[in-house]
Order: sequence, then C-alpha cells, then structure tokens
Amino acid sequence: MIRAEHLVKAFSRPARVEGPLSSVRSLFSTRRVLTRAVDDVSLQIDDGEIVGYLGPNGAGKSTTIKMLTGILVPTAGNVEVEGIVPWKDRRANARNIGAVFGQRTQLWTDLPLRDSFELISRLYGLGREDYRRALDEFVDLLDMGPFMDTSVRSLSLGQRMRGDIVAAMLYRPPVLYLDEPTVGLDVVAKVRIREFIAQRNQDAGTTVLLTTHDIADIEQLAHRVVIIDEGRILYDGTLAQLRREYAPYREIVVRTREEPTLAHVGDIERTTTRPDGDDHLTAFRFDPERIPAPAAISRLSDALEVLDITSREPGVEDVIRRIYLSGSVGRDGR
Amino acid sequence: MTTGAQTVPAHDTVRAGSALPLALAARALAAACGQSWRSQFVFRASMWSGIVGAVLQVILVHLVWTAVYGSRESVAGVDQSVAITYAVLGVLATLVFQPFVFDTLYGRLRTGAIAFDVMRPVSAVPMALAQQLGSSLAQLPAAGCALVVGLALGAVDPPPTLASGVAFAVSITLGLVIAQIMNFTVGLVGFWTLEVGGAFLVYRMLAQFSSGALIPLWFMPGALRAVLGWLPFSAQIFVPISLYVDPDPGWHTVSAIGGQLLWIGLLIVLSALVWRRAIRRLVIFGG
Repeated sequence: MIRAEHLVKAFSRPARVEGPLSSVRSLFSTRRVLTRAVDDVSLQIDDGEIVGYLGPNGAGKSTTIKMLTGILVPTAGNVEVEGIVPWKDRRANARNIGAVFGQRTQLWTDLPLRDSFELISRLYGLGREDYRRALDEFVDLLDMGPFMDTSVRSLSLGQRMRGDIVAAMLYRPPVLYLDEPTVGLDVVAKVRIREFIAQRNQDAGTTVLLTTHDIADIEQLAHRVVIIDEGRILYDGTLAQLRREYAPYREIVVRTREEPTLAHVGDIERTTTRPDGDDHLTAFRFDPERIPAPAAISRLSDALEVLDITSREPGVEDVIRRIYLSGSVGRDGR
Repeated sequence: MTTGAQTVPAHDTVRAGSALPLALAARALAAACGQSWRSQFVFRASMWSGIVGAVLQVILVHLVWTAVYGSRESVAGVDQSVAITYAVLGVLATLVFQPFVFDTLYGRLRTGAIAFDVMRPVSAVPMALAQQLGSSLAQLPAAGCALVVGLALGAVDPPPTLASGVAFAVSITLGLVIAQIMNFTVGLVGFWTLEVGGAFLVYRMLAQFSSGALIPLWFMPGALRAVLGWLPFSAQIFVPISLYVDPDPGWHTVSAIGGQLLWIGLLIVLSALVWRRAIRRLVIFGG
C-alpha cells in the first residue's frame, strides 16, 4: 500500500537578475526563488491496484514518484510505502519497490544484459533457485532470449526497456513504479509491455503506479487515474467516472446531401455542420443516460435523409486535454 | 505486505522490507566489484593500449632518472638505484590507484543513474567504492606487465629486507584504501556544484604532486616536505614506497603504518559526513 499525505516538494534556485549588467550581477546575487513541484498531494493506493498518474510535462509526476521511491526527501508531508517511510529507511524500502524510469536505465551499459540481472540478483540477495525461476519466467514472457547476451549499449530501445522492466521485477517487489515505460516504443513493444504488466498485476497482485503520456497505456491497464498539474491533484477517480463527469455526451455524425436546418431532434442537439465534398457532415450529441444510442440513431434516421451514420464515444484523451486546459476541475471527494 | 511477496517461497530469499544481512551484502559488493572489473575488459583495444602505455612509462621513467643521476652515485642522500626503484613503483601505484578518477558517483549523478543507486538495498557508498575498487584492480594486468619489464631492465630492485617487503605490502594496501576514500569524497563535491571539471583538474594536479608519485618527497625543500608529510596524499604513495626501499625497518615503519590507519579513520568519518549532507541535496537531473 502506498500512502502520501499532504506531500510537498519545494526546490529553490537562484533568482533571475534583471536589468543592466544582469549576468555580472547574477554572480553576486543571493536571491533565490522557491518553486513547489509538488504541492499538498494526498494519495492512497491499495494493494493490487494499478493507478495511472497523469499530467502535462512538468506537472510534478516524476517528483512525486521520486519521493515515493525515497530518492527525494519531501519538504513537508508524510509518505509510507508498505509501512515504511521510504527516504528514512531506503534500504528496507528498496526490497519492496521496483522502478522503471523510461528515460534512464538501471542496467550496466558495457556488459551483456544477463550480467546486469545477475548483479541485481546479488544486490537484492536473491537465492540462486529463485533467481533462475524468476529470470526464466520473465525472459520467456517478454521474449528476451535472443538478446540476453548482447551488451546493453547495443540493444534497441524496446529491448532495453524490457530489460529494465525485468530488472525492476526480478526480486518480485510488491510495489512497482513505472515512469513512462513505453516512451518511444513501437506499437508491438508497447502492447507486449502492457500485457506483461497486467499479467504481473493479476498473478502476483503487484501494485502499480504508472505515469505515461500514452493514454492507451492507461485505458488498457489502469482502473483508476490521478491527474496532477502544477503540483496539485486535479482529479482522482475511476476512468469510467472521469468519462461520465467530464464528457457525459456521446456524439453521432450524420452524412446528408443537404445541409440540415433543424437545431435539434428531440433531446438530440446539433453541434456542428461542415461540407464534405458534395455532402454535409453534421455532428449531434446526446446524453446516453436519457436516450439509448439505438433510439438516438433511429430518431435521426427518421428526421433526416441520412446517407451514412457513425457514433463515437469521446476519448479519454479529449477529456484529459480538457482538464489540462481548464486546470480548474474541482477536487474529487476521494 | 502484499500477495506479491507471498508468492515467493520464503526459504532461500531475504524477506521483503528488511535490509540485507551482512554476508549477503558482502556478496553483493563482491559482485559489484567484479562487474566493474569486467567492464574494464570490454574494450579490448583500451586494455591493450593500457598495457603498452604502462610498459612505455616504466621505460621512460627508467631512462629519465638514469640521465638525471648521470655519473653521480647519490643525490640528496638518495642512491640512484633507490630513486629509480621509487620512480617505477610510483608509476605503477598511480596506475592502479587511479587517484584521479571520480567518475563512479559523479558520472552517475550527471546521467541521473544515481537515482537507482539510492534505491538499492545495499547503500550507495559501499557500492560505489566496490565498483571503484573493481576498476582499480582491473589495472593489475597492465601494472604486472610493466613490473616484469621493470625487473628485466633492472629498474626495480627487490626490497632490501623481508621486513621491508612485508611492511610495503601492508602499507600499499592501506594506501589504496586511502586513495579510494579520497577519490570518492572529492567526487561528492559534484552534489553541490554539479559542474566540477575545473575543481577536479586543480585537485588532480595538487594530489599527484603531493602524493610523491612524480617526485619523491625526499627531494623537496624542507618546509614543503614537512607540510606534504602532514597531508593524506603522501600516505597514498610516498609512505608505502619509502617503506619498500627502506633498508632498516623499525619503529618508524610501524608508526608510518599507524599514521595511515589514522588517516583511514579520519577520512571515513569525513566522507560519511559529506555523504550524509550530499544525499539530502540530491537533485536528479532531467525532471
């Protein structure tokens, strides 16, 4: 279980000096500015949950994770991971957590991949038998056999990332932090990694905190999302609820020869119309709680001379973009 | 603890949430040391050029010091053969100690890989030291080749007495320890300044001169010699080699080794203090 209460991390850096000779004066300036990368974040993640941690660049995601892993000492607030305060007891905490930072690697670049795993098994005091079993299992699942003896610097990004994920899980930690584990990977590699994470979560009950900019990662893995911006939590709840609350409408796009003149069909509202070749495409939206989708479609077909009709659900991406842009969504009650 | 930890059979494994027991930690460190030793051998060309470089250095030092002495038997009370033995051993010790390599932590700090180091069940300090030691030991083949050449040329004399040899073996080991701790501690400066190339260059120059690796302290003016004698640099290289060439070991030998032990104690305390402050300042690069 991960628990964070009123977590704050402030960084101080020299203040920018303005005006004439600013670069020279900056050498003597002692003024500093404080920025709060994480500002009063409270969060609880239960055993076996997969939580997506989202936010635009610089929102404070990585800083939060670094406090949860014990790398950074919080400026204020409490953290507890599996009952241990990470920054106070780093070594005990280390065995409980695995971490993948997609932009970096924990592998030893000059040596074959296998050597890195070997060293990690030593560092975490794994028994030979446990090590072999874990390695066989993971190497098989992630199809890593062909490049186990290649030196890490010659691996492709996707191979290296798989290596990093295995390195983080060899000692079977109950908690896993994944910071952009699919960044820069091709579709096949992404799917493979997602499947592996989902499987570890199901089989071993691994708790996962996942940050990513790829919404598909979240849609396929996370049951719950936490959205953060400027160091503050904007939303904390399930994906389904997020959709319901911030995008309650479904959309139907109708292709007609003539431009429709009506503003609405019953409760189905017209939003936009644009010409498309000789035809017109018109978007309607409706609340699926009040009108079931089949009913909406048949009503529109009755009202208009329809050439074609498509229905779509607003993507989570749209929803999240809207939240980032507004930045002022009320806190959820969790 | 979650089900994740419980699916692992309990026998053979350390319980999650506890630090590593000492024996396992020692094995972990040995593995880290071996890893960094092997890394040095990955680039075969650099290994071979290291060996050639070491042999050349020994030959050159031999030539230069022979020329310096010319027809004189003794300079400043130091015999020619002693001076040459000293100079060759100084070159070899410098090679193995790598007294000016601060990369282990500083390099990892720059790349952000340090994040992983402070997340291990083995503390980052012994890990870094073990890796430093591994890469130092990887220089042994080169140093060994150069030593053989030195012996063949007659540049290196055997120790004058058995006791001198034993004292040297103990003292050079302690010198290695001192060198490792000091490299590590200086490398920690990177935690504050983040850009330390210049400072390291100055340190390297001073350290190399002060350790007596280039010129034995015997040849230095009295006041300078006294000051350098009080600094830990001389305990790395000058002390062990002067014990090697010492024809008459005695209490001064014991006290020299005692002085080294004292330095080790002091430096450990110092580096622990610096590390403790450093880790709280830790800022990981790149978000």
